[in-house]
Amino acid sequence: MATDKELSDFLKSVEKRAWKRAVYAVRDDDAALDIVQDTMIRLSEKYADRPAAELPLLFQRILSNATMDWFRRQKVKNQVVRNFSEFETAGSDGDFDILETLEALGGPLQSESAAESVSRAQILQMIDSEVAKLPARQREAFLLRYWEELDVAETAASMGCSEGSVKTHCSRAVHALAKALKAKGIST
Amino acid sequence: MNHNDTVYRLAAHDAIESRFARSVVACLTESAERVSPDVSERLRFAREKALESVRARRGVDVVQTTGRSASGTAVLGFSRSPWWLRFASVLPLFALVGGLVLIQDWQARSQISVAAEVDEALLGDDLPINAYRDPGFSEFLKAPPSE
Repeated sequence: MATDKELSDFLKSVEKRAWKRAVYAVRDDDAALDIVQDTMIRLSEKYADRPAAELPLLFQRILSNATMDWFRRQKVKNQVVRNFSEFETAGSDGDFDILETLEALGGPLQSESAAESVSRAQILQMIDSEVAKLPARQREAFLLRYWEELDVAETAASMGCSEGSVKTHCSRAVHALAKALKAKGIST
Repeated sequence: MNHNDTVYRLAAHDAIESRFARSVVACLTESAERVSPDVSERLRFAREKALESVRARRGVDVVQTTGRSASGTAVLGFSRSPWWLRFASVLPLFALVGGLVLIQDWQARSQISVAAEVDEALLGDDLPINAYRDPGFSEFLKAPPSE
């Protein structure tokens, strides 16, 4: 059973990322805060007795459910479904050449010469914006897999899809981000 | 292109994607750490509220556990206690009812005994001479015995 401190530390470590993810989904800061609070309370009330190691995956699932509940309450479920289905029709844009250009570069994201004058905050804002523009399922898979550091199986369980779908979503998200950031003069 | 080349290219592709993704999420983490103080405070409040609910629930659990171990009567209605504990908690009630029945029986026997002693004393004693001057007693003597 997770102790109070373990639960507190876990919530503290995940709360800002959770809020950002909720903002990406609902595009509303206040609603995102409500969703995160709802998620924390649901986790605490129902799963506080579970081992600390199980909390991350449980939290992600509850967050996804809370986000969906918010959409249902807003009566825009059809819009969500349409957004979620975008990845089904979005074909692979075959931009592996973009990734090949990334291979030769290392280190943290940095601005190219054309964007050298852009502040770090603006770069972060642009990356944030591009992540927000991703189709919902791609973004969810990408963030769970790489930001929340879930493995493929855990991501699939959290999203309720197959591991193959997770890999596809992640790959498409990476390609889309690489293309968009490259177009803005940002590369890794 | 042989099989080894294909495997190598796929692995390299995955590695590139992974490296790019981790660079992006490093920026997202940095961005998330720059949230406004207002958002940070509201997240802290939400966290504290969630933790309070846990502490409250765990506090109730502790009280229930303590009650079960400290006093048998306190566990009445505690659905998850073992059967022998629930049985043991009812034993004092049975003892109380049994004791009351015994006390009532003892009191009844005691009253009967006292009444018998009084009757015996009355019947065994000499009849006072004034009794024969009482009209009621005369009528009683004239009346035939009921049995």
